[in-house]
Amino acid sequence: MSNHAALAQALEDLRRNREQYEAALETGHCVVLAGPGSGKTKTLTTAMARTLTEDVVDPRGVACITYNNECAIELETRMARLGVESGERSFIGTVHGFALSQVLAPYARCIPGLLPADFRVADRSECRAAVEVAYEDAFGDGGDPHNRWTFAEEKRRRGVDRDLPEWRGRNPELADFIEAYERELRARRLIDFDDMPLIAFRMIRDHGWIRASMCARFPVLFVDEYQDLGHALHELVLLLCFQGSIRLFAVGDADQSIYGFTGANPELLQSLTTRSDVRTIRLRFNYRSGARIIRASMGALGEDRDYRGVDGAPDGEITFWPVPLGHLQQSEHIADTIIPKLLERGYARDQIAVLYRSAKMGNIVAAALEAADLPFVRADANALVKRSSRLARFVETCAAWTTGGWREANPPYARLLQHAGSLVYAGRISEAEEQVLSRQLIGFLRIGIDAGETTNEWLRRLYRDLIAPWQAVSRNEHQEWDICSEMVDRTDPGKGKDMPLNIFAGRIEGTGRIALSTLHSAKGREFDAVILFGINDGDLPNWHDNKSDRALREARRLFYVGVTRSRKELCLVYQEHHHSPWVVELFRRSQQD
Amino acid sequence: MQLAKLSVNNFRNFAAIEVPLSRNVVLLGENRVGKSNLLLAIRLVLDPTLPDSARQLKLSDFWDGCDLAQNPQIEVHIDFADFDDDNALVALLTDFRTAADPNVARLSYVYRKKPEVAGSPRSGEDCEFLVYGGGDESRAVPSRVRRRIALDMLDALRDAEGQLGSWRNSPLRPLLEDAVSTISRADLEGVAADLETATRKLESFPAVRALEQSLRAGILSLAGRAHDIEARLRFAPTDPLRLFRSIAMYIDDGRRGISDASLGSANVALVALKLAEFEWRRAKNERNYSLLCIEEPEAHLHPQLQRSVFEKLFKNDDTAQALIVTSHSPTLAAAAPLRSVVALRSRNGATVAHSLAWLPVSEDELDDIERYLTATRSEMLFAKGVIFVEGDAEEALLPGFADAIGRNLDRLCITVCNVAGTNFTPYVKLAGALGLPFAVVTDWDPLDGQKSPLGKARTIGIWDAYCQVTGTQALSHGDRAKWQAANFAEFSAGWAQAGVFLNDQTFEVAVANTPKLVDALLDILDEQGFGPKRSARITDWRFFSPVDPEQLLAMVADIGKGRLAARLAKKAPGLAPPAYIGAAIEFVVSRV
Repeated sequence: MSNHAALAQALEDLRRNREQYEAALETGHCVVLAGPGSGKTKTLTTAMARTLTEDVVDPRGVACITYNNECAIELETRMARLGVESGERSFIGTVHGFALSQVLAPYARCIPGLLPADFRVADRSECRAAVEVAYEDAFGDGGDPHNRWTFAEEKRRRGVDRDLPEWRGRNPELADFIEAYERELRARRLIDFDDMPLIAFRMIRDHGWIRASMCARFPVLFVDEYQDLGHALHELVLLLCFQGSIRLFAVGDADQSIYGFTGANPELLQSLTTRSDVRTIRLRFNYRSGARIIRASMGALGEDRDYRGVDGAPDGEITFWPVPLGHLQQSEHIADTIIPKLLERGYARDQIAVLYRSAKMGNIVAAALEAADLPFVRADANALVKRSSRLARFVETCAAWTTGGWREANPPYARLLQHAGSLVYAGRISEAEEQVLSRQLIGFLRIGIDAGETTNEWLRRLYRDLIAPWQAVSRNEHQEWDICSEMVDRTDPGKGKDMPLNIFAGRIEGTGRIALSTLHSAKGREFDAVILFGINDGDLPNWHDNKSDRALREARRLFYVGVTRSRKELCLVYQEHHHSPWVVELFRRSQQD
Repeated sequence: MQLAKLSVNNFRNFAAIEVPLSRNVVLLGENRVGKSNLLLAIRLVLDPTLPDSARQLKLSDFWDGCDLAQNPQIEVHIDFADFDDDNALVALLTDFRTAADPNVARLSYVYRKKPEVAGSPRSGEDCEFLVYGGGDESRAVPSRVRRRIALDMLDALRDAEGQLGSWRNSPLRPLLEDAVSTISRADLEGVAADLETATRKLESFPAVRALEQSLRAGILSLAGRAHDIEARLRFAPTDPLRLFRSIAMYIDDGRRGISDASLGSANVALVALKLAEFEWRRAKNERNYSLLCIEEPEAHLHPQLQRSVFEKLFKNDDTAQALIVTSHSPTLAAAAPLRSVVALRSRNGATVAHSLAWLPVSEDELDDIERYLTATRSEMLFAKGVIFVEGDAEEALLPGFADAIGRNLDRLCITVCNVAGTNFTPYVKLAGALGLPFAVVTDWDPLDGQKSPLGKARTIGIWDAYCQVTGTQALSHGDRAKWQAANFAEFSAGWAQAGVFLNDQTFEVAVANTPKLVDALLDILDEQGFGPKRSARITDWRFFSPVDPEQLLAMVADIGKGRLAARLAKKAPGLAPPAYIGAAIEFVVSRV
C-alpha cells in the first residue's frame, strides 16, 4: 500500500506546476512530453502512486516500462519513497523484463510448441554462434555473417508484426536469415533479448485470454523514456492500450531520442500525440538549467522549444575551451586546467561530470585524471559498477550496507533480500527458499562489517559465499553472474586497482568523485558543472553520422542531451579551428535572450 | 469463479482420488470414511489460518498403503475455473494457469522426503512441504493469494455446543471463580454499572445501532421470525454475578455473547455472522473469494433449521463464495443441489470419492432425480446398493420378497428405487456415478410379437447409460446386432450377468404365476377390509376364476409398502418370489 501522507505531499508539490499536476491527476490515455529538467520522473512517480491508491483496486496493480535497469532502479527508489515497494502490485522494469516475467514466464508453457520447456536467455557468444549457423543455412556464400546480421537485426526490430506483407515483401532473404537464426536458438532451448518483446507481442496478439489477463493484472501501463523504446514496445502499447483496455501513461521527449541503433524511433512517440483518444501534456518548465544554458541547448538541438527556466534561477555560465591538439591534449587540459578552476570556484567534485562520446575517449580522460590524482567514477561500458546491471547495483548496495548503511537501515536489509530474490529466482521465491537466501545473505554481510576488507577481498568472498551457490540454484531465465567475476578483475590489486570498500560503496563524505560518462549513459542524470569533451568536427558529427540524415539528426540530439545535463556551468572542450559545427550555433543562440 | 476439481494422493484415507466439483460441495459418507480428512486436504492448500506447523505433516499422515521406501508424496491439487470474468481473481491466479488448460488455475500442496535425506524417511522431520501453483513447483504462491482466496472453517458449530457444555468442566472456571470471589460485591456492582453505562453509550451510536439491526435482519432472514433470538451488541451481561461468566466466554471463543440462545439458533447466528463477515471483508477489499467449510452441521441444527438454512445457502448465487459441507444427514443432502454431492466410500482399504458434478443428465432429468431424492429422504445417496423397479407394486413387494429369502434390505442398506415408469437411465447414471452396485427389475413387454420387445431396447439403453458414467467400454456394433437377434431366454440370461433382470411378460403375470405367493397375498388382502366390490373379487379369485394380475397388484399397491412388507414377512417362511426377482436381490446383496 502506498503511503498516503507521502503521496499527498507529492501531489501538493506538483500543484505549483499546472501541467505536472494535471498529468498526475489524468485518468485517460495520456502522453507527457517532458523536456530536460522538467520534473518528469517526479510527475511519473506521483501519477503512478496516485493511480495505485485511487484508481486501481488491490490486488490489481500497474506496470511501468522504462529504458534500462538503471532507470528502473531509479524509479523503484523513488516509488519506495512514496511508500510503494515494487513486487506485489507494481512491476517496474525494462520492456525485456516485462515481456519475460509478465508474458513469457507465466504463459508460454500454455501454448503448445511456442517455446522449448526450460528455455533460457542466450549469452553473446551463443547468439553469435547461432548467427553463423543461420547464415550458412540462409546464404552459404562464405560472406561475413555478422556484417549481414546488422541489417537483419534492424529488420527484425522493426518488423514486429510478421503477418504484415512487408515482412516477406521486402528483403525476403533477410527474413529467411532471421527465421533460421531463431530456429537455431530454439533448437538449443534459447531465446535472445530481441526475442522477448517479439514473442510477447505475438502471444498477446494471438490469444485473447493473455490480453485479458494482462489487463486484469495491470489496468494501467506507464511507459518512461518512450522515445527510446523502439518498435516492439510501441506495437505492444498499441495492442494492449488501444486494441485492449489498458490505460496508457507515457512519458518521453523526442528530442532526447538517442538509441536509434537499438531500434528507437522518435516518430513513434509523436504518432501517439496525434491520436484523438490521447491527451498530450507538455511540461514547459526546466527546473534544472540556467536560462543561458537553456537557450544554448536550443542552438545545440538546432530547433526552438518554448522551454522556460524558473524565475530567479541563476543564468548559468557557458565557457569555451579551444585546445590546439586532439583528444590527448584536450583531456590533459580538462584535468590540469578546467577541473581545478571549477573546484576553485567551489563546485563539489561529485557535482562535476566529464561527458564524451565513446568509452575509448573515457579511457583517455580517465588516464589524464589519474595522472592529475583526481578521484573519479566511470559510468560507461568500462565502469566498475555497470549502472544498468541489476547484479552490479545489488553488489554496490550490499557494499553500502556493510560500510555503515546497516546502522540507519539505508539501504534497508529487506530491500537487499528482495533484490537477491529477484536475481536468483526472478522473484518467484518460496518461503523456504527465501529463508535459505536470507541466511546466506545476512551471514555474508555481517562478516564484512568493520572487517577491514579491501574491495577486492570483499568481492572475492562475495563470489565464494553468495554468487557461486546462487548460480547453482538460480531459476532466473536471464543470468548475468559473470558481472561479479568482471568486478573482481577490475579491482585486481596486482594492477593497483583495489580500493577500500567504503570508496567502492561511495559512502565516504567529502571525497566525492568526478563523474566520467558517455553521453548515452549520462541521460537522465544532472550535474552542477558539465564538461563536454571532444566536441570536434569529425567526432560530433562523425563520418558515420554524415552518412544519413537520420543519423545526423540523432547525433545532434546526443549533443543536446549532453548540453542539457548541466545545471550551472557548461564547458565545451574541442580542438582549436576544428570544433563541431554545432558549437557555433550553440554560442550564437546562447547570446540571444 | 468455481472449484473445478480436487485431487488427493497418498493422504490418510486416500490413495488417489480425483473429484470433479461444482460450485458448492456436500461431502457425504459414513463416519470415519475420511470426510474431515478431505476437508483438511483442502485446508492444506487454502486455509490462511493454518500454521506451517500444521502443514508440516507426519509420517502417519501417509496413506496406509504407501511404501515409504518408495518415497511417496502426499499431494493435494485444487483446480479453479471460470475466474476469467473477475479481474481481481485473474490478477491473483493468472500465474497459476495450468499448461494443459489456461482456463484452469491450480494450487497445490506437496509433502515429501527432503532431497538431502538418504533412505526412507524415519520421521516427519525428514520430510518437507511446499505450496505452489500452476503445476510448477517453482511457482510459489504468495501469501496474499491465500489471504484473498481463503477458506474458513466454521468449527464454531461444534464448539458452540462444546463451549456451553464445557463451561462447568472448563479448567478456567475454578480459577475465575477464585479470582472473582476476592472482589467485593460492591466492586463487582461498580463494574456492572460501568458496563451498563458503557453499553448504553455504545448503543447510542447510530453506527452501532445500524450494525446491530443489520445483523439481526441477517439472522431473521435465515431463520425466520419463529427463531428470532433478539441479538444485541453489548459489552457483557450487566448482572454482577454473571460478569465473570462472560469473561470465560471471551476467552474460549472471544467473539460474541450468544451463548444463552438455544443451540440451533446460536449456530444459525454464527453462520449468519460468518456470512456477514465475508461480506464485510469483501467490502473492505480484503477478500476476493471465500470458501466456507462446515463440518456435520446436522449434529448441531434442528432438521427444520438445516433445511431452511442450507436451502438458502445453496441458493445463494454469489459466485465469490462457495460452501463445503460434510454431512450424513439425509435432510441436508436433500436440500443440496445434486451436482454438489460427493459421496465417499471405503473400498479395499482406501476411500474413493464419487462426484455428481459432471453427471451427464439433462436439466429435466436432474429435476426428476432431485424430486425423487427429496421424496425418499435421499435414501439412495446413503445406500450401499439399489434395486430399480418400474412401479408401486414392485416397490411394495420387494422388501417382503427379500425377507422371504433371508435378506433384510434395510439392514443391508439396499434401497428399492421406484422410477415410476420405464425411464431407468437417469437413475442408473446416478447409481453408476455414485459407484453403487445395482440391479434393474423390468418387464420384457413383448407387444404383439411383430415388433421387437420393448425390454430389449430398454436394457441396452440402461447399459449405455451405465457405460457413459463409469467409463466402461460401450457395446460394439457386433454385440448390438447379436443382442437384437437374441430370444428371451438368451437375452435375459445374458443380461442377468450385468444386473438387468427381465421376466418374460410383466411383473403382474409373474406374481400371478407364483402359486404360494398368490395365496399369501390374498390372505393379506382379505385382512384389509376392502369394500364389497374388491372383497367379492378376492373371494372369486380364491375359489372360482383365475387371478386377474393387474387388479391384484392394484390392490397390493394400495396397502402401502411398509405394512405389506411386514405382513408378508410374517408369512415369509416357505414363500419364494418369482425367480428373476430373487436373482436380482441376490445380485445386489452379493455386491454390497
